[in-house]
Amino acid sequence: MTVVQVLLIVVFAPFLHGAMKTLRARLQGRRGPSVWQPYRDLRKLWSKDAVLPEGVSWIVACAPGVSLGVALTLAAAVPLIAGPPAFLDVVALMLVLALGRWMVAVSALDTRSAFAGMAASREMTLSALAEPALLLALLGARVSGGSFLVPHGNVSIAGIVALFAFGVVTIAETARIPIDNQETHYELTMIHEGQILEYSGWHLALLNVAGYVRQFAFLTIAAGLIAPGPVAALAGAAVLAVFITFVENAFARLRLFEIPQLLTTGILLAAASVGARLV
Amino acid sequence: MKPLSGLTTAFVGAGCLVLACLAITAPPSFGHVGSIVPGFVLDWGVVPLASPFFALLGMLTIAVAVWNAPDGRYGWGIAAFAAAMGAVLMARSVAAFMLSWELMALASVVLVGAHVEVRAVRRAVFSYLIVSQAGALGILGALGILAVHAGDTSFAAIAKAAPQLPDAWRNAALGLALFGFGSKAGLFPLHFWLPRAHPVAPPNSSAMLSGAMLKVAVFGLILVFFDLAAPAGTTWAVVVIAVGAVSAVGGILYAAIDSDFKRLLAYSSIEHIGIICMGIGAALLFAKSNAALSASALTASLFHAVNHALFKGTLFLAAGRVAKVAGTVDLDRLGGLAASMPWTSAAVFVAMLAIVALPPLNGFASEWLLLRTLASGMDIADPVTRVAAGAALLALALTGGIAAACFAKVYGLAFLGRPRQRHLTAQRETFGWQASGTGILAVGCIALGVAPLVAVSPLSRIAAALVGAPAGAWRDLSVPTTLVSVPLIAVLPVIGGIVALLLMRARRTRYAPTWVCGSTPTAQTQYTATAFSKPLRRIFAFVLFPEHEKRIEIGSSPWLPSRIGYRTSTAYVFDDAMRWASVRILMVSRRGRRVQSGHLRLYLAYAAAVLVLIVVVAR
Repeated sequence: MTVVQVLLIVVFAPFLHGAMKTLRARLQGRRGPSVWQPYRDLRKLWSKDAVLPEGVSWIVACAPGVSLGVALTLAAAVPLIAGPPAFLDVVALMLVLALGRWMVAVSALDTRSAFAGMAASREMTLSALAEPALLLALLGARVSGGSFLVPHGNVSIAGIVALFAFGVVTIAETARIPIDNQETHYELTMIHEGQILEYSGWHLALLNVAGYVRQFAFLTIAAGLIAPGPVAALAGAAVLAVFITFVENAFARLRLFEIPQLLTTGILLAAASVGARLV
Repeated sequence: MKPLSGLTTAFVGAGCLVLACLAITAPPSFGHVGSIVPGFVLDWGVVPLASPFFALLGMLTIAVAVWNAPDGRYGWGIAAFAAAMGAVLMARSVAAFMLSWELMALASVVLVGAHVEVRAVRRAVFSYLIVSQAGALGILGALGILAVHAGDTSFAAIAKAAPQLPDAWRNAALGLALFGFGSKAGLFPLHFWLPRAHPVAPPNSSAMLSGAMLKVAVFGLILVFFDLAAPAGTTWAVVVIAVGAVSAVGGILYAAIDSDFKRLLAYSSIEHIGIICMGIGAALLFAKSNAALSASALTASLFHAVNHALFKGTLFLAAGRVAKVAGTVDLDRLGGLAASMPWTSAAVFVAMLAIVALPPLNGFASEWLLLRTLASGMDIADPVTRVAAGAALLALALTGGIAAACFAKVYGLAFLGRPRQRHLTAQRETFGWQASGTGILAVGCIALGVAPLVAVSPLSRIAAALVGAPAGAWRDLSVPTTLVSVPLIAVLPVIGGIVALLLMRARRTRYAPTWVCGSTPTAQTQYTATAFSKPLRRIFAFVLFPEHEKRIEIGSSPWLPSRIGYRTSTAYVFDDAMRWASVRILMVSRRGRRVQSGHLRLYLAYAAAVLVLIVVVAR
């Protein structure tokens, strides 16, 4: 069942991304690309050979695979149709996400690009603040004495506060405004996209699939924190996606050194959710 | 003859491993060496608690002996140092403990001061000596208080008398022990000597200092808190957690902004001692409410101590190799080492994943265990326990995040990328003694990461006995069963990485210059370590107080500067506070010297005053 769930998420995740992109274009008064565009992009990229910077080590070639593996692990942990395996608890999940992030950052540094280096620096710094918020939010939505798997369906004050905290983390992890901007064309303002500037062809396809799956999983986990049942979680994820798209249209990206304040707010909210659970 | 010292070192290491096994199967007692002076009783024996420490000491010593084989320098010093540390672990009376503790300190001072002709080394040795002796006084005070209460100086008698200890005495002993062992272990704010002393020692010695000696101090701390002065109580638990949390976050923060590879590793040692301390504090915290959780926290601590010895040993030995080959450990000048030093870099890659606690390596297993234990501790009803466990969890997660940034910088900029020094591209490392010495420890990191239960099941028995939990109680937590399978979490990422590499072979790949806006990529167009840590310096400016200075020399046109200089510096608030305190202490003691004027009449007056005082008090 877990395998089926992971496969379904992989198949459906690009659609969610395409839909968000189309919606954003409509909100801006453009027609925008078709919702199926991510699939076409993936097919195109997959068929192309990769171009790598001269002299890079094996890590650059390895990182896209590791990143996708981490995304699939995350997809297995989402509480949807299958109960995740017992070892995929929230602590291990936080650390395996760190594995993917670390490999991508290190390979960005290996590409010798100053843009990638700057992006890696920012990504690692900001996620140092996002990680505690992620862990505490998931523990805050947990039922006391319950299991340590990704929590779901906790309709309580703790669950709702945890949803807000996890929402901040989701924005950071999915590289969305106001923390990051996926669609900027100016390298200096990129965070996540900046790291993978030197990737092309099928490598980029792997990284993009990993990104889509991560986005889908994060949105579903966030909605699932308070949604009763998998259908509600998916509907909630759709609502969150629409909400994020609206935010992306209404706000500009924060200045880099204002982002830590947002993330610290996330940590405080997560701590509050833990406090609310314990009271 | 050089091989002789190497063989001796390896022999000491092997002896430690044997004792590690004996300690958990059949703890031997080497009995009692008569007392020449009253109170000077030398008891020696091996307790189960010493087992993990013997194991890490043995592994590290053997690896260092192998690493040292071609060079052989400081071989006898290392052998003596390892033997002295082994003696501390075996001491079972106050006199034996203090004697071997001072021998260990002496041997380490000799190693730190190997390059005593350098001024910075002399200063480092001096500050280390002062802290070390002050710490030893603290330990002597703590053990002295306990021995006076027990009426006997053997540890067995002290431990037996511990439950009847009056509160004031217990608190004094625990405070002095925390000060004494904490200063040796490099806990904040007594850490300031460590980032100076460890990097200036020869690489083989810094591996031993960071990997093993800090752990011997941890051993002492656990011995006093869980055996000699047990039970320590919740207040002390909170104190130990707080000290550990500050050390962990502070240590990794200073490591993350540092660009000196060896000093960065020394700061990261402070971080890991802090993590171990948080585990010890958590074990004290849960002791009353949930013995199984308490045992679990202590197990995580002991496991992390072993793991830290493995990966930090790897990294310090590798740093020594880098210093020799590249001639510098400045991350802003290093680059592309993976191409010229493939063996060392492979070991470093493994150790990096371990130190950042990434699956499936050993650092992940122990930090996962500690985080899971703390998370379970948040379910305990007592509010103090809950809040302390939650705060420790937050500190640990933050530490992990900053550590990931710190070591991405080290590996990505020093080992990957383009070499920043031209002579590095010419030579290529061959597999030799030094690579194998580093490799042994890296293999250990993988083994304990893939099969953590090998270490965790004996450690959990030791921990359960110390906190007074039934040996099997820990199994109820469902942690051990999960721990077997938790390395499985890395299966998909590892497969993904391997498949990507295989696909790369099957498909055509073109190589092109890196895009640098149209100009030619050089070593200078890469990002630097100082730049990489800039966001952290700014975000944590409220503790780091960073300053920078830009110098632009204008050439023929104001728009085309001929030179641009950039300097950045950080204020080390803890070091400054300590310097402030030591200057004040010196000032007071200089004033105090006036009472010793040398006039006989004044001394007679002192004697008379004391006499009067005694009469008044004793009346």
